[in-house]
Amino acid sequence: MEKIINISNLTKDYGDGRGIFDFSFDVKRGEVFGFVGTNGSGKTTTIRNMMGFIKPQNGKITINGNDSWKDACEIKKYVGYIPGQIDFPDVGTGTKFLKIQADFLGIKDLSYMNKLIDMFKLDTEASLNRMSKGMKQKTAIVAAFMSEPDILIMDEPSTGLDPMMRDKLIELILEQKEKGKTIFMSSHIFKELENTCDRVAFIHNGKIINIVDRAQHVENMDKQYQIGFAEKKEYQEFLKCNYEILNRNENYNHLTIKINDTEMNKLFKTLEPYNIRYINYQPYTLEWYYTNIIEKQEV
Amino acid sequence: MFSFPLFKQTVKSNLVIWGAMTLVMTVLCIQFAALEMTQSLLFVIFYGMMTTILPGIYVLVTANKLLSSQVDSGSMAYVLSTPTRRFTVVFTQMIYLTGSLVVMFAVQTVGHLIANTAMPIALAKLGYIQLPGNLTNTMILQVNISALMVCIAMAGVCFLFSGIFNESKYSIGFSGTFIGIMILANMLAMFGKLGVGGLDNFKYITICSFYDYESILYGVNDWIIKMIFPIGIAVASFGIGSAWFCKKDLPL
Repeated sequence: MEKIINISNLTKDYGDGRGIFDFSFDVKRGEVFGFVGTNGSGKTTTIRNMMGFIKPQNGKITINGNDSWKDACEIKKYVGYIPGQIDFPDVGTGTKFLKIQADFLGIKDLSYMNKLIDMFKLDTEASLNRMSKGMKQKTAIVAAFMSEPDILIMDEPSTGLDPMMRDKLIELILEQKEKGKTIFMSSHIFKELENTCDRVAFIHNGKIINIVDRAQHVENMDKQYQIGFAEKKEYQEFLKCNYEILNRNENYNHLTIKINDTEMNKLFKTLEPYNIRYINYQPYTLEWYYTNIIEKQEV
Repeated sequence: MFSFPLFKQTVKSNLVIWGAMTLVMTVLCIQFAALEMTQSLLFVIFYGMMTTILPGIYVLVTANKLLSSQVDSGSMAYVLSTPTRRFTVVFTQMIYLTGSLVVMFAVQTVGHLIANTAMPIALAKLGYIQLPGNLTNTMILQVNISALMVCIAMAGVCFLFSGIFNESKYSIGFSGTFIGIMILANMLAMFGKLGVGGLDNFKYITICSFYDYESILYGVNDWIIKMIFPIGIAVASFGIGSAWFCKKDLPL
């Protein structure tokens, strides 16, 4: 697939180890690319570089073949943006703001904008200054999506949204993906990344730690199960069997093991004589992946 | 190069302060010109101080709002995430800032011209006893052009700070200090001229000295030559401010 966003050796050093260092990756056309990291890890810096708001010290970003710094204006013709920091120009109501944005973008037909407003149940007649965080975020989402741009760059787009609206956003992202749009989003809400992203890049302290493919992350991984025992004696006995134990809890007599699907039968045979209270499947989450990787890095 | 939607947005969000300043200036001007007891102060107080203080406050507040405060709050992101060049943004804001000053002075000048046509004042009455004849409409026009140039230069310097700083507090701090010194020094220099010894030297530290209404009243052309300096300051500061804004990192 064609690489639509190309980042090579991108470096922006703010001193004291802050900034981003030697980022290289690319985003393919039609892909939803997630960007995860702790606060201050460099997500926003990367996005600001992509939007041409800051000039890289080293390396460069090309979007659709255009340099993100030199051809910033050209890029904006097919990029929609949701900034991480939401503050609107001093224009009064949400309706006025969206109309002005439509003017800037040269949009004449506002039907898609109105569809989005309905979708998010947004009251655009409210004054921008008096809007809650969630309402502001929804307004920003509408502003970014209303021109149906080919590429969407979003900095923590679900901040301040309630769970229902978050689901709407996921729905919208998937709908745009269906239409072949490319989406780049940063987040620390793992759920929305899991439901939407084809690939996720993990960054920490300004460095890319890993880029995980969705396929790889879903299929080939071992699974985790939590097993609860009725009696302490049996719980202790099971510990001696040769399984990879991730964590244990003496008080509740339960433990979590990691096991591949191919070993399932063996596990059931082992468990046969035991008095089992419950077995819980614990879905692998990006969160788990993330904390594990980060922990390894910190060691 | 020029963005009409941005211009419209800028006009709307600055309408109140512009309107207030223009109104105050025009009303003050007509009042000073029309009332018998204040006529002698028309030049000392109104043209001497008000035509730099009121627009000075206006440019200080507005220049900061045009760039720096929008970068500081992050709202600039919306304009710049549309296909609008940074240069288009600065250029449009610059046109607004100078244009709004031109219109402000135009409104006030028209006000004064009407008042002066209805009720001409002898120059002797304005405190220039040695001068013959009345205050002419040409003189009023020239005085205002001279004042306008100095105000545009002050606007340029404020715009320069607004373009350089990403944080409103620095932009307004530097611009405020600048405008404050200019206006204060101008006032002190004026007291010097009115006879307070030593204060006269303050005229050397303020660009308001390039606004020379007395030479106009005396019919000398000094004011035209003196306009070169504020024009130079305006061109340089608007130029540097714009270039700086186009090249700097924006935290949006």
